[in-house]
Amino acid sequence: MSSSTIQVKASTSPVGQVSTSGLVWQMARRDILTLFRTPWIIISRSMAFIIQLFVFAYFISGLVNYPGFFEYYAVGSVVAMVASISFIIGYDIFEEAEEGLLDYLLTLPVSRRQFIIGRALGGAVRSMIYIIPMFIIVALLEKFVNPVSIIAAVLDLFLLAFGVTGLSITMAVTVRSANRFDVTLALLDLAVTRVSTALYPLTKLPLYVRPIAPYSPVTFASTTVYDALVLTSLNAADLAGLIAFVAVFIVLGATIYFRRLEGGVYA
Amino acid sequence: MISFEKAGKRFGTLDAVKDFTLEIRDQEILGLLGPNGAGKTTLMLMMGTVYRPTSGAISVNGLDVVKHPNDVRKLIGIAFQDPRVDGILGAFDVLNWHLKMTTTLGKEERAERVEQVLRAVDLWDARKKRTWLMSGGMRKKVEDCKVLAQRPSIAVFDEPTAFLDVPSRLLMWKMIRELRDQGSTVIVATNMMDEAERLSERVAIVNRGKLVAIDSPEKLKSTTKGGEVLELTVGVGQQFPRELLAEFSEVQDVTQTENKVSVYLTSGRLLLPKIVETLTNRGVKIDSVHLKEVTLEDVFLNYTGQSLD
Repeated sequence: MSSSTIQVKASTSPVGQVSTSGLVWQMARRDILTLFRTPWIIISRSMAFIIQLFVFAYFISGLVNYPGFFEYYAVGSVVAMVASISFIIGYDIFEEAEEGLLDYLLTLPVSRRQFIIGRALGGAVRSMIYIIPMFIIVALLEKFVNPVSIIAAVLDLFLLAFGVTGLSITMAVTVRSANRFDVTLALLDLAVTRVSTALYPLTKLPLYVRPIAPYSPVTFASTTVYDALVLTSLNAADLAGLIAFVAVFIVLGATIYFRRLEGGVYA
Repeated sequence: MISFEKAGKRFGTLDAVKDFTLEIRDQEILGLLGPNGAGKTTLMLMMGTVYRPTSGAISVNGLDVVKHPNDVRKLIGIAFQDPRVDGILGAFDVLNWHLKMTTTLGKEERAERVEQVLRAVDLWDARKKRTWLMSGGMRKKVEDCKVLAQRPSIAVFDEPTAFLDVPSRLLMWKMIRELRDQGSTVIVATNMMDEAERLSERVAIVNRGKLVAIDSPEKLKSTTKGGEVLELTVGVGQQFPRELLAEFSEVQDVTQTENKVSVYLTSGRLLLPKIVETLTNRGVKIDSVHLKEVTLEDVFLNYTGQSLD
């Protein structure tokens, strides 16, 4: 035990000078940094992706009668992966609430609005970092070199990630039981990702899925990303659907989040 | 100044805090003393804008916590009872991030301040160790260090020395006093009598969400009935005949918890043989007798009718 003492002069001025964007970024950065402290997750996910692409996708391409299916599947795999990974932020927030860490975060000088935007942003950026290696593999494999197409595709992926983190946060603050939350999020992940045209074209999906699949946010994203990369065109309708999804779940997530907090609607 | 004005917080049908009125002066160390579940943490979280009061009003330096939550958050630093730290991060990163969020310090200043507090609590060598791998005491120190490094206008410590060994407790008290000396208002929630007594200038006794007494530890003790306590242990299951002691004008009050009887009185030394004789003559079996001065625990017992554990 050190016997030395510290000079603990209290701050004379509050921290009002810290910019809003700075605080939002710090909230987001916290989630992003967590990822880099467990790099093995990125490595293992990338390995799993490579196996899925070069083994599973290779074999299934021979079974699915659809022109350019491998390319379709490769692009869709990246989109589906973004959606799945973006759900993780919900687990993080649920765990923080259970462990009490959320109470601490809520005492920090960040408005609730900044807080949720920061968390959603952090979750989305984290998802993008996850899939960068996979995106590069697919781009190299399929020779996607048009920079405008690549930027458009990345933006589409980011929108999907942002929306899914909002959806995930909404679930985290809506479902109170841990077991129910795990099951709910797993089912939601499955529904959003699998009931979509990300991995298989609509005509190849089971009949009972076909009426719903076009409205999945993952379908919106996979269509816009595919059109941007492969057809080098903009799919305005699906992009609008994707933006609507983001708007609804970020706003909905924030609203429910505010209400769920014991503090009520603090600004 | 912090002001609670008939503040209340209701969770469902439970009033965790009810009609709580208290003023906390600038640059004082106020001890919030109460048993587990008394409402101490709820009070602090209402003040810290995590919980919204369901009735009454709370203001911090003139700012209403409901109307100006963000401004209030900028003034307060809370060290929680159970450490609230990212387990995956080391102590340095936990404190550095906390300062990023709560101060305008630059990178070098932050690093310097974090080093200062971590060295002071002997955690510098373990600064990179992930906090989930740390012992309970080390994690608790990290939690306290968040506020010590932040140096907020209002510093709140919830059970600041839980899990700490004796030297660490003494050091933590010293650092908390220094924080106050440099300008912070300090609130220490505790259920440890010695901590409340040795650290606080005033002690607020909270029970079942209500403020039952507030004053300096000395005054609380001196105003407590009698000034001395005669502690008797009587036979198990034996009903104590309180009316027998009514004849002694020096006896102020009598409380009984199971077979432990506390008699609050003056002139205890003179009265002790008489009381024992009177009780024995009436067939009361006395296993032990102990005369002592009033402690804060007696004050608590006196105000709440229950012991502090």
